Amino acid sequence: MSATLTSKRHRVEDVADAIEFCFQQGWTDGLPVIPPTQDRVVTMLEAARLDAKQEIGFVAHRAVSITAEKVAINAVMAGCKPEYMPVVVAAVEGIADPRWSYHGPGTSTAGAGVLMIVNGPIARELDVNAGDNLFGPGWRANLTIGRAVRLVMRNVCGSIPGTLDRGTLGHPGKLSYVIAENEQDSPWTPLHVERGFRREQSTVTVMAAEAPHQFYNQLSNTAEGVLTTLCDDMRISGNVMGQPHYAIVLAGEHMRTIAGDGWDKKRIRQYVFEHTQNSHAHLKQTQRMSGPLQPGDDIKLRPLVASPDDILVVAAGGRAGAFSVYIPGWSSARNSQAVTKEVRR
Amino acid sequence: MIELLDPTVEVKAQPIGYVDRPRSLEGKRVGLIENTKFNSDTLLLRIGEILKTEYGAAETRLFHKHNASVPAHEEIIQEIRKTCDVMVAGIGD
Repeated sequence: MSATLTSKRHRVEDVADAIEFCFQQGWTDGLPVIPPTQDRVVTMLEAARLDAKQEIGFVAHRAVSITAEKVAINAVMAGCKPEYMPVVVAAVEGIADPRWSYHGPGTSTAGAGVLMIVNGPIARELDVNAGDNLFGPGWRANLTIGRAVRLVMRNVCGSIPGTLDRGTLGHPGKLSYVIAENEQDSPWTPLHVERGFRREQSTVTVMAAEAPHQFYNQLSNTAEGVLTTLCDDMRISGNVMGQPHYAIVLAGEHMRTIAGDGWDKKRIRQYVFEHTQNSHAHLKQTQRMSGPLQPGDDIKLRPLVASPDDILVVAAGGRAGAFSVYIPGWSSARNSQAVTKEVRR
Repeated sequence: MIELLDPTVEVKAQPIGYVDRPRSLEGKRVGLIENTKFNSDTLLLRIGEILKTEYGAAETRLFHKHNASVPAHEEIIQEIRKTCDVMVAGIGD
């Protein structure tokens, strides 16, 4: 296998030097990395049964071929266990998919992270967190899988902050932004099944995304009550005029309240679609929509998303606490679609 | 001694053929490609007007990309190739 690795090699004295060398080369996200030695990289490739030369994705906009070898090197650096490699590979396939449209979310001043939602048996096998402290910290799989993808974006695709990654503000999810759906406790159809996969398949869904926004509803014991609060919080958020994707992540208490009223994900999406629309008058008065106020603008409504199907509903988060989050997608669903890829082992 | 594998890729050189710049815009047909961002059409149309009135361009035609994040699509590239002598691509934001 070693003969097949073609990456340039660099010699350093010891581990401490190796870590410092990686910083000096500009290969890290600002945190120390695991030195990518041949043994570690080969083990990573073997765990996913990949040949080093195999192309995982081709980003047409950047004219970059992402090989398994480069994904493995970056996964080692991120601190991934070898068994995480198939998930990293599926996520890289997702961001290289033309529907995700790499150039926009990889470059844009609007500062997208790559939200990765892991579904299926692999989430439990790898202990990808779907519960307490969902967005971190504390779980190696969640923090290193997303970190590996971001290092691939940096080191292979050239999305270096300040040069080709021009995020004005960025957000902490750009370091790693991985969650699993809590399929064990959820009464609902898992995200990957809604998106055309079988329950026993494992998948990663990638969505170009802003940071999570937490909302509170500690009063209501009905689905409509909880979702009324969500919609009121969400109505003016993200790129209000762009009609992006949204992910809604419902944690334990809200999940049980909403499901207890018999609502499924489809009904949640439809309700949210209908109750997050803004009047043209409000959008104009708040300087989001151009043009002078016209008669009738107060009853003319613009949906926050183009279709209820652009809302991804996920059951995840701690059992206790009447909080959930919504996550605005980057820009517009027209410019970057959420993509689901199977994790192949 | 530890040997590290490089996580980056070496960029392969890609030759790009440029056509010669015209010496003058007199009588030239100008294609304008806007990226769909707010006001980019306004900006490009204004530039087109200047190219006609101050530089003698014969006409301008405005083309729209599918969205700001993707390269111009083949259909408009072919159309520009047939109907324009020079083009201006610009972004608005």
